[in-house]
This record gives sequence, structure tokens and C-alpha cells, in this order.
Amino acid sequence: MEKINKVSVPMREQSPSERIKNFKSVPLGYSEEEAKTEAQRCLQCPDPVCEAECPVSIKIKDMIKEIGDGNFKEAFLIAKRDNPVPAIAGRVCPQEDQCEGVCTMKNIGDPINIGKLEAFIADWAMENKVTEEINIKDKKEKVAIVGSGPAGISCAADLRKLGYQVSLFEALHKAGGVLQYGIPAFRLPKEIVEEELSCLEDMGVDIQLNRIVGQNVTCDALMDDYDAVFIGTGAGAPKFLGIKGEKLMGAYSANEFLIRTNLMKSYKFPEYDTPIIVGDKVAVIGAGNVAMDAARCAIREGAKEVYIVYRRTINEAPARNEEIHHAIEEGIKMLELVNPVEILGNEDGWVSGLELQKMKLGEEDSSGRPRPVPIENSNYRMEFDTVIEALGTIPNRLFLSKTTYLKKDPRDRILVEHNLVTNIQNVYAGGDAVRGNATVILALGDGRKAAASIHKYLGEKANAQTIF
Amino acid sequence: MKHAITKKVDLNNGDYLMEVEAPNVAEKFQPGNFVILMTREKGERIPMSVQKAEDGKVSLFIKRLGKTSKELDRYKVGDSFFQVIGPLGIAPEMKKYGNVAFCSDLVCGHAENYAFCKGLSEIEGNNVISIQTFPSEGDIYPESELTEHLCDEFYLTTVDGSKGRKGHYLDIVKELLEERKIDYIFAGGDLSKLRDLGELTKPYLIPTIITVRQIMIDGTGMCGSCRVFVDGEMKLTCIDGPMFDVHKLNFEDILHRVGMYKGEECKAMTAFEKQ
Repeated sequence: MEKINKVSVPMREQSPSERIKNFKSVPLGYSEEEAKTEAQRCLQCPDPVCEAECPVSIKIKDMIKEIGDGNFKEAFLIAKRDNPVPAIAGRVCPQEDQCEGVCTMKNIGDPINIGKLEAFIADWAMENKVTEEINIKDKKEKVAIVGSGPAGISCAADLRKLGYQVSLFEALHKAGGVLQYGIPAFRLPKEIVEEELSCLEDMGVDIQLNRIVGQNVTCDALMDDYDAVFIGTGAGAPKFLGIKGEKLMGAYSANEFLIRTNLMKSYKFPEYDTPIIVGDKVAVIGAGNVAMDAARCAIREGAKEVYIVYRRTINEAPARNEEIHHAIEEGIKMLELVNPVEILGNEDGWVSGLELQKMKLGEEDSSGRPRPVPIENSNYRMEFDTVIEALGTIPNRLFLSKTTYLKKDPRDRILVEHNLVTNIQNVYAGGDAVRGNATVILALGDGRKAAASIHKYLGEKANAQTIF
Repeated sequence: MKHAITKKVDLNNGDYLMEVEAPNVAEKFQPGNFVILMTREKGERIPMSVQKAEDGKVSLFIKRLGKTSKELDRYKVGDSFFQVIGPLGIAPEMKKYGNVAFCSDLVCGHAENYAFCKGLSEIEGNNVISIQTFPSEGDIYPESELTEHLCDEFYLTTVDGSKGRKGHYLDIVKELLEERKIDYIFAGGDLSKLRDLGELTKPYLIPTIITVRQIMIDGTGMCGSCRVFVDGEMKLTCIDGPMFDVHKLNFEDILHRVGMYKGEECKAMTAFEKQ
């Protein structure tokens, strides 16, 4: 038996000093040889635990086997069968909590770099113009999908493969949802998003941009005109702390900061028309992936010092380790155990700093993390020019206010049954619109699940009609 | 979708009208809605007021100011815009208000004035009063684009008195309030004058609904840039507005935030003019 290689093939990356000057991908991707070497480390477990953890059920073991054998096309087709967007998921999935987190290799060394292999194989296919050949047998039933983010994409792909006539409604002028406006290009190059989305169009999915359900098309009309509707509207509205000073110029929601940067390409201003103002000293409030993204955008857009301001310690941060690690490498500073109580401003109405209260860690709370407890009389002030609030997002009121008949929980998340059907029999929902703030891959998983449910529902309906 | 420009008319030296194909927008437009325009893929998403929406087309009133609208001015009939998105925002109900006025003193306000006069006058029981203010005689729009033919009472003022009544719409409103009962006032245009209007109508307890102009990007409630405070509560101009009760607004914040990108606009303008 060959010797087991305990150490994974490292991913080559742009150096921190170089990459903070650009928005190009931080990881440079595996070469064919590197991918093969990494794949050959896989033990090919008889019972692949990694697959059970994958929200879209990719046949990971087989994919890795084919990569190890140099059969890249086969590997790509295996990935693509269960995941319409492998190049995206390979980059943004929290693999450490899923497939890689349970990898058997972890017991004796590094887990297999499954995410990087998935991205490699998808990139390889793009470079070599290898595509999935699909034979679609058209059905007459029509399905409307609201939102072209991860949930909508996977739902559309699966339903179209089954032959349904699928229309995808997107409110913005570019499809992709959070993949387009939220995740920065250095983590997820936009050409990749566009390439994977173009596969949907090639399959015959009708993508309708600038269609704002609730404004220029009503949900009622969709329910009447289509046999089923899937709602994947995400959680795209920013949460604010509600502290004094949020009206000041130089105070941003992370959503605004990222939309300007990613969707509108403000980092290329004035070639692109949309500006952004990034001061020398930037505070990003929060420590999730979005906070790391905003901080890393800020440093690339000219900030001299960027701080993550967090009320717990970085050990409790919800961001992926990889993102925190990259942020620290790029010189982002972690200001732990402080809670902003006010955004301070100067007389011209611009942000001038933060008033912070010191915190300590207390008992575990419902999230399983130690609760941050304020320390009395510990307030102090720090100077900042820009403050970005990255406190998570909530479902968008615009859509919900026009669809009051859909049942929601008190946090405005759409309520669904196990098969993702809402309280209306031909309307399904998934992704962040149902989960609140979750991940791309869970949304992709929901999209697939909803597609299966819709297929079942429409199949039963068609059968019933044939009988009578 | 292509958004071809079907008409372009100068309204005065600075302002012009553009009629653009936008069937999805035109179909659902109501007075009080706005649209977002992108001239080209690298362009900004610019919120704009709509004067008219009919036959699959929308008419926009535009001012030659700032880089984007200068760039926009290069577009001619037959050219196309990258995107015209909407309608956006909440439209106030077109219902019986009684003695109802719309006041405007700037390009965007004049467009809204037109749309409202048309909408309000179609409802029985409304006495529609329209007041339009221009700096001087030479700035007055062609008659067909004014509101006179759409309303019951029309007042035209010029700030320098060269045509119509001398003064601002505020002066007319003041006179009207002293003289009779006005039930409802809508207004759009210069923000500082809208604040003054609020102060003027407050003692009379007249509902006064104004259009707020704030910096926005998506226009669908995602970025939070257009936040304003209404009775101390955070609202978004794009999805809760753009029309708000002037008496509940904190104007100092609004006037501040609107100027946030002035410096950037100058930079963009310089770069554009060098081209």
C-alpha cells in the first residue's frame, strides 16, 4: 500500500502585500499536478462521511477519484450533476464545517482540500470549454422563480433539467444575488459567477432582470400565470445597531459598502460612475463573513488602518477561519470585547469616531457562545473616518409587504413545511428568505430540495388531470 | 431589454425631457413612483422622477448637472439606455383629497407635479391647485409641459418677477392658507424649500407630503443608504418613501447626507470633461 500523505497540497495565493492593491482572486488555484496529488491523498472511504455532510449531495468520493486519475472531465460532470455552480461553491462553502470537517484524513493529518478540488475541476472545465451535455425533454408546465441568488439558481437548474419552463425574476440589473452584490471578487471572481449563470441561460432558463416582484410584477400574477412559484428572495436588507450617529456621512451598512464595491464596481471609480468614500481609518462592526469582506474591501479601496470591532473575542467570531486568517494577513486589526454605543460625528456631519464600551465574556448564551457582558464605566473613544455596520441582514420588506398572505415567523422569515412548501400550495420558498442569515450552500441545497418538491407536486397534478 | 430614446426636448437652458421605451415600468407607474436609470453598464443607478408614463414609454425631466446628467445629455433620439428600472417607491393613493395642491420649484418636482395633477384631476371631488416656480421668465417650460391644462387652479411664479407672480411657491401657499381651507399639500423640488413649506403649513395642521431625494443605489431596500428618520424611526426613502409627511422628518440629516458625494462628483466631472 502506498504511503499515506498526511499533509495537504498548499494552495498558492497572492501575497498579502500584493493582493491588497487589487481585487483579483486571492487563491491562485491548483495546477493539474497539484490537484491530482491532493486528490490521491483521499482514502476513498467505503462509507464516505463527507458526502453525508454536503447540502447538495455531491458524490465527493467519485469526484476526487476521477481527479486523482486525471479524468478531469468525468470529475467535472460528477460535481455538476448535483451542483449547478461548482466553481462558486468550491470557493465560498464553509467546507471546514461540512465535508472537510468530517474527512477521515483529519484523524491523522490534514483533511482533503475538497473545496479547492471542486473549484479546480470547475475552473478546468471553463478553461477547456467542457460543458455538461443535457438532453432536455420539454414539459409544458411553467415555474416562476423569484430571486436569482444561490437558491434560485439551483432550483432553476434542476427544474429546467426536468423539462419545466423556468423564468427567473431578478430585481437588480445583474443576476446572481449575493454572489454578485455581496461576495467580493477577490473571494469570488465575477467572471466565474457570470460563466456559471450563463449555463442556466444555455439550458433555456429565461432570466428576467429588473423585475421587482411587488413593484413591476405582482406575486399574485406569478401564482396565476405559472404552475408553481419558488421564492428565493434571500435576506438582503441591512440591520442597523440603532445607535446615535447612524445618519452621519461616512456611516455605511456593510450591504451598501459591498453593493457599491462589488455590484457597482466603485473600486474602479471614475471608470465606473458609482463612488465610494473610504477614510484612512475604518471600523467594521461585527465579525461574520460579511464583516471580513467589508474590511478587506476597505483596505483595497485605500484605507490605511482597518479594524474589526467585535463585542466577543475573535475565537467566537462567526466568520470562517479562512476569512479571518486572510483578513489578519492583510493587516486588518481585531478590536475585541468592545461594543459601539455611539457613532461620533464632527460639525460637518461626517463620522469622526466611535464611543466604545468594554465587554467581558460571561455565561454561554443560546448560540452556545459566551455572552458578552458590558463592563460598567469602561467607555472610551476612538477616532475613525468611516464606520461600517456588518450586523447581518434580514429579509427584504419590499417583497414581504406585497405578499402579506404568505405566513412568516416574527423575524419575517417565510414559514415552510419540510418539503419547502409555504402556506400556499403552489408556492415554495428556501434559502435565506426562510433561514434568515445562512450560507450559499444551504441555499443551493434548498433550491434543489424545492425543485424536487415542485416536480413531485406538478407530477401528481398532471397525473390527477390524466385520470379525470 | 433595449430602452430606446423616442423623444428629447429642451425644457429650458438647463432642463430637458427625455421619453424612453420602458414597457414594464410604464405599465405599473403611479404618480409618486420613481425610476432608476443607468445610461450604460458602467453607469450609476440614478433615481429619476417621471412626468408621464403611457404607451410603454416614460418621460423623464432631467437637469444638466453633474457628470452623469452631462453624460446623459449626449444621448439622442434613437440611442438606447442600458437600463430603466421601476416603478419604485410607494405611490400615494389617488383619491379624493378636496382642495389639494402640488408645489414644485425644480426639475424633478415639476415632473412629479405634472404626474400628480393628471392623477388627482381624474378623481371626482378634487380641486387641484398646481403651483410652479421658476427662477426667471427664460426658464419657464413650454406650455405643454406645464401643469396648467391638467389642474383647476394654476399659479406660475418667477423668483425675479419677470413673468407670472413674483416670488416662490411658498408665497402663494402662504396667501392661499390665509384666504381659505386647503385640505392636502404635496410638493417636490428643492429640499430646503420643502423644509420651509413644512414650517409654513404646520400651524395650519395641513397634511404636507413631500418627495425626499436621497442618495440610493439599488432602490429596493437593500443598501440602506437612503435612510431618513421619520418621527425618530429609521425609514428607507426607496421602499418606505419617497414621499413622507414633512412634519415628521428630520431635515438636518437629510440635507447633510445628500451632499455626501459632492467631492467625488467633482472628480468624476473633471475626469469626464478631460475625455
